[in-house]
Amino acid sequence: MSTVQVEVQDLSKNFFDQSRGEVRAVQEVNFECRSSEIFGLLGANGAGKTTTLRMISTVLQPTAGTARVLGHDVVSDPVEVRRNLGFYSASTALYPRLTARETLTLFARVNKYPAERTRSRVEEMIERFGLGDYAGARIEKLSSGMKQKVSIARTVVHDPPVLIFDEPTVGLDVLNALDLQKAIQELREDGKAILFSTHIMSEAERLCDRIAIIDKGRIRACDDLEGLRAATSQHYLEDIFVHYVTGNDTTG
Amino acid sequence: MNRRTVTALVVNDLRQLARNPRVLVFAVALPLVLWPLMWFLTSLTTERRQERIESRTYTYAVADEAASVAGAADARTWLERALAVVGDDGRADGEPTEGPAVRFERVEAPEDVAAALDEEQLHVHVAWTETGDEDAIDEDVDRETVGNAGAAAPRIVLSYRADLDASDSAEGFLRRALERTRTELRERRLAAAGFASAPDDLLPLERIETASEEQTSGLFLGRLLTAIIVMMMLAGGSIVATDALAGEKERGTLETLLTTAASRVEIVTAKNLSILAVAFATSVLNIVNIVVWMQLDLIAPPAGMKLVIPIGAGLLLLLLYAPAAVLLSSSLLLVSGRSKTYKEAQLLFAPVMLVAMAVAAIPVLPGVELRSAIVLLPIANLGVAAREILTGHYDWPLLAAAWAVTGGAAALLARASLRTLSAEKLITASELDASDLAGGPALFPRRVARWFAALWALLLVWQLNIGGNIDSRLLISINMAIFGAAAWLMIARYRLPPREALSLRAPPTGAWLGVLLGAPAGLLLADGVVRLASLAMPIPEAWIEAMAENMGAGLPLWQMLIFFSLMPALFEEVAFRGVLLHGLKHRLTTLQLVLVAGIAFGFFHVDLFRIPPTSLLGIFLVVTVIRSGSIYPAMAWHALHNALALGSARLEQIRLPEQPAWWHYVLALAATLLALRLMSRVDQPGTRRRGG
Repeated sequence: MSTVQVEVQDLSKNFFDQSRGEVRAVQEVNFECRSSEIFGLLGANGAGKTTTLRMISTVLQPTAGTARVLGHDVVSDPVEVRRNLGFYSASTALYPRLTARETLTLFARVNKYPAERTRSRVEEMIERFGLGDYAGARIEKLSSGMKQKVSIARTVVHDPPVLIFDEPTVGLDVLNALDLQKAIQELREDGKAILFSTHIMSEAERLCDRIAIIDKGRIRACDDLEGLRAATSQHYLEDIFVHYVTGNDTTG
Repeated sequence: MNRRTVTALVVNDLRQLARNPRVLVFAVALPLVLWPLMWFLTSLTTERRQERIESRTYTYAVADEAASVAGAADARTWLERALAVVGDDGRADGEPTEGPAVRFERVEAPEDVAAALDEEQLHVHVAWTETGDEDAIDEDVDRETVGNAGAAAPRIVLSYRADLDASDSAEGFLRRALERTRTELRERRLAAAGFASAPDDLLPLERIETASEEQTSGLFLGRLLTAIIVMMMLAGGSIVATDALAGEKERGTLETLLTTAASRVEIVTAKNLSILAVAFATSVLNIVNIVVWMQLDLIAPPAGMKLVIPIGAGLLLLLLYAPAAVLLSSSLLLVSGRSKTYKEAQLLFAPVMLVAMAVAAIPVLPGVELRSAIVLLPIANLGVAAREILTGHYDWPLLAAAWAVTGGAAALLARASLRTLSAEKLITASELDASDLAGGPALFPRRVARWFAALWALLLVWQLNIGGNIDSRLLISINMAIFGAAAWLMIARYRLPPREALSLRAPPTGAWLGVLLGAPAGLLLADGVVRLASLAMPIPEAWIEAMAENMGAGLPLWQMLIFFSLMPALFEEVAFRGVLLHGLKHRLTTLQLVLVAGIAFGFFHVDLFRIPPTSLLGIFLVVTVIRSGSIYPAMAWHALHNALALGSARLEQIRLPEQPAWWHYVLALAATLLALRLMSRVDQPGTRRRGG
């Protein structure tokens, strides 16, 4: 039976900018994510997806509201939150001069994975993601596809119950994107609670068990695909998205 | 803090560095070769230049009209003797040269001397002029002795070009030879005139140097050691620091790191340790490198230098430099954290390095002692302390104070770098937060410390360099003007409501009674603090006399009261119990507020021996404002305190007891506490979590 791993309640974030003044990037967002579930945040660029995920990963402090990961509050208990979290995004890079094996060992250690099991866990990850031939090569020498595999491996090396994938396929070619999606699906099978943000409809449609449509910092709708279809009388996720974001019915 | 996490992060940083060939070549290997090579080449070229100077033939000419000058023969003799020995004193110290003798060749006197010197047809031109009629020398004088009492040779005039190497050298050789022969000729003349003894035997002077070779070398080394260490640490530390946050930010690995379970404290500690490790390693490498080159006789240590540091002093120096090392690494980390890119970090390191080097060079200045306000200046205080240790002077209380001041500054900077790592602007495009955007009163609490730090630096520079040399009335007036102007600027810049910022409210009636009770009692307690502090730091008599002088001895009473009582009570209260307190009160708990604002006031008195009592006064005045909600009782307390202190120094009737008994202090403490209790407003709760 799946359990709630991430709870987000009335989460808000304001930024301050000289030219635009106060910018309300995220406004009173509510959702939860369970184990063995991929929860999608679907929104256009600048909708507030990354800001929401960064608050959950404790990199940003909420202006208001709360977020909990396995019951740990992101503000009062950030280290425990991060210990139970793996964060992957297109902007989270790897150290170019480390080898794949060193990278995995480093992230296992800094994420406080038990010392006595670190070596075997690293080898397990190398095998699982097919890094065997390249484990001793420096990251800077690897292809984009291999780098992406190392990135996923370092995200999960400490075996966190919650994973965040923030627009992970940005910049990847089709095959690498498919590989990544496959890996994410496998992680769901492992029982992980996965928060997945994207602006690519097909990706959300294929991967997500539930989808929250986010626009201008607010969640406009949150349900599984069938529920969204039923609520909007639209079949395609693209039309459903437009329906919520613009309020227009795109069907003839 | 998890040791395993910190170790993993440090190893990661060092591994990245070790695998960067460019860094290794340009930041580690190249300096190892370049520094000694530069040293070697400098000494080689200096040697070659000296050889060249000594081996060449210089040309000189004697002015044609010189022959007609009275006493020309005497001058000619002098010149000939000088030319006979020229080159024997080729060095400035008069030591004979070992190289070839300097040769001078006479050429025809040119018509245009300046042009001949310019075209190097001539290196030095000699002429002589009469020094006066009474100087005429008898033509029959014995040429060997040149002895004619009362007569003087003409003045020899050398013309040359200081901007031309050969001409400048020729003039130097000839002048020194002339000076030597002049002494010899003078002595002969004196002997011929019947002077009984050699001139050097008259009023003989002898010097006895009691400092050991180690002490002399210690002074030399102590003046430079801190600057050298700081330079090496900055050069080595900046290699890692640039990459530490700015580089990670640019590469995109910072966000990866920030989303791991490593706490911010662990990350900052690891980064600091990495910087320190590399700074330490490169410093040691450089030192070992120089020693090896010296052993190979490729570079020579300074003459008379005995590079021996006793083990005890060495360990003490190591301990002493520890907070300086943390301070420097935290500064570099802070700059790295504030920079968006690697390049920006490199750009911003320059001013940090300049400031650090300027402060580290202070031990070079003559007359700067640790037992002075310099003990309050981080790094400089350790530099002066190191100099004193190396000359065998151990002023333990001041060494501890210097260590604590630099350690405190290091802790503050480490905290600031920790905050930088927690700052959201580190990874978001947003440059501002709510108070930045709002500006004005919302921003002031975050800026107040910077304002007062700048004010303190300004006062320190002013008082150390100019303040002591002017009339005490003018000094106080300028100090007060600085405080008043700064307070006004802060109020205007941040649009602070004056009534709120300066606590311009009517106090409770009991507060005035509290002032009458608290000011004299507080003065006695301050006296006790001075006596207590003097156990660790004995106050020199000269300082007490200087204080009496500064406190307006000889001024009329009304002027004393204006300059030493009323003006400080008005302007210092507006600055410290007004705007400083207002700025800090929402950021600190009440206890922190009392201590920080009170001790800050003490530190603004710059003079080392005045800091403890004025800090205590500051604490009482902060409590007074917090409890009464008004600045007026603090002003009255301050004025009365200063007036009583002046009176005690000047008037027999109100002089403090010479040796107060312990119960005097107990009574004073009780009276002060009662006075502070009387300050409380009836409608105000007694305690609050936050100040104000």
